[in-house]
Amino acid sequence: MSDEEHHFESKADAGASKTYPQQAGTIRKNGYIVIKNRPCKVVEVPTSKTGKHGHAKCHFVGIDIFNAKKLEDIVPSSHNCDVPHVNRTDYQLIDISEDGFVSLLTENGNTKDDLRLPTDENLLSQIKDGFAEGKDLVVTVMSAMGEEQICALKDIGPKN
Amino acid sequence: MEEQLPSSVHAIVFKESEHLEGKCIKIEGYDFNEGVNYSQLLKSMVSTGFQASNLGDAIAVVNHMLDWRLADEDITEDCNEEERDPAYRESVKCKVFLGFTSNLVSSGVRDIIRYLVQHHMVDVVVTTAGGIEEDLIKCLAPTYKGDFYLPGAHLRSKGLNRIGNLLVPNDNYCKFEDWIIPIFDQMLKEQIEENVSWTPSKVIGRLGKEINNESSYLYWAYKNNIPVFCPGLTDGSLGDMLYFHSFRSPGLIVDIVQDIRAMNGEAVHASPRKTGIIVLGGGLPKHHICNANMMRNGADYAVFINTAQEFDGSDSGARPDEAVSWGKIRGSAKTVKVHCDATIAFPLLVAETFASKRNTSVKTKVNNF
Repeated sequence: MSDEEHHFESKADAGASKTYPQQAGTIRKNGYIVIKNRPCKVVEVPTSKTGKHGHAKCHFVGIDIFNAKKLEDIVPSSHNCDVPHVNRTDYQLIDISEDGFVSLLTENGNTKDDLRLPTDENLLSQIKDGFAEGKDLVVTVMSAMGEEQICALKDIGPKN
Repeated sequence: MEEQLPSSVHAIVFKESEHLEGKCIKIEGYDFNEGVNYSQLLKSMVSTGFQASNLGDAIAVVNHMLDWRLADEDITEDCNEEERDPAYRESVKCKVFLGFTSNLVSSGVRDIIRYLVQHHMVDVVVTTAGGIEEDLIKCLAPTYKGDFYLPGAHLRSKGLNRIGNLLVPNDNYCKFEDWIIPIFDQMLKEQIEENVSWTPSKVIGRLGKEINNESSYLYWAYKNNIPVFCPGLTDGSLGDMLYFHSFRSPGLIVDIVQDIRAMNGEAVHASPRKTGIIVLGGGLPKHHICNANMMRNGADYAVFINTAQEFDGSDSGARPDEAVSWGKIRGSAKTVKVHCDATIAFPLLVAETFASKRNTSVKTKVNNF
């Protein structure tokens, strides 16, 4: 088995594990998988039965959940793969700084300022415009394998 | 009162024939009243007719190939000092190219091939991907005798793969995968760290070294430094393994250009040796060997053993004479095509050529003690 995993930066929570092992044959479409050290969402898993090519194999096609790149891997179905823990947390948007960072309100009342604005154009303009209009916005932050990114937006203000 | 046939009609019907006595061999089959003498039985083939005669002729051509020495040729003007030395001329033998298709390695002919390679009786081997992997897999798990008519869907459900009337369980290929992937990992490491430049023949040499099993012909090819060429290395389970390996650990490069240099070089730089071709089956091995020999204006001996026919224009079915038109075989060459399944013809041919010569020389060595 490969030993490429466990080399990523995990400065923050060193205790919690970023991934857990799961048998390749049990990972389905729309699940998550680590390919080349990147957390990916599985879009296709064609399988080939045991034959001249050896053991039965799963051919994973995944989309990197942060940068939307397409990645592929082939794994014998009886082998274990790494599945990333993917968490989603909601934070209230307090401020957007000039250099593209956001200031978020955490549950315990502190601020979280280490997150950049998302690169996705659609989401970016929604946040900027909404904030400029003074709306109350809640952003959903997706985190996996030590990386974080804003992935969704909610308007929780009163309807005018 | 007999009627006499008119002399003109008589002349037409009873046309005088050319006298063949002394020019052609009389047809005579083996007489089992002499007992069951296999050696005599095989020697009787040349006078039995049809493909038995072709096999008998092929045996004669191979024996010529094995008996030839540079000493048999006149010294040419452009010979250097070394080439004039009689002892040297006695030592220079014909260079033998052996080619075969993968189905023959799945069959028991693999063990005949192993004998030839084990005793360094051939100089260059050319085969297809299956010809490599089937030999290695047999060291991990056996191939079994089945039947041509076993139903495909039923076999698939049982995890059995059919090659003619042979059966290879899927499990054998799983064992092959488990064996070979770590070797590819190691080879990739050597490519990156030690700048090793892999070619199909180098990969095959490495696999022969790793299998380390005396029943494998590739093991003996590695030990005896006999190059095994396989330009189509990806066209088999080996290719499947390279494909899967490239996902987990990408970057392994296998250079076919270096190998065509080496293969053609074997022919081009063969001189002053003569070259001989023995090819079982058609396809890539047949053409690759003949083509290489074109580089030296043609081989001096050629024996084809296959069941292919020429009516469709295929190279597989082409007779040696077609290769002569390309310059792949010399016009002066001794050639035979035996129209026969090699699983029957080849063991018999080896018995009457390579094996019997070795038997004789071994006996001579023993007697000389």
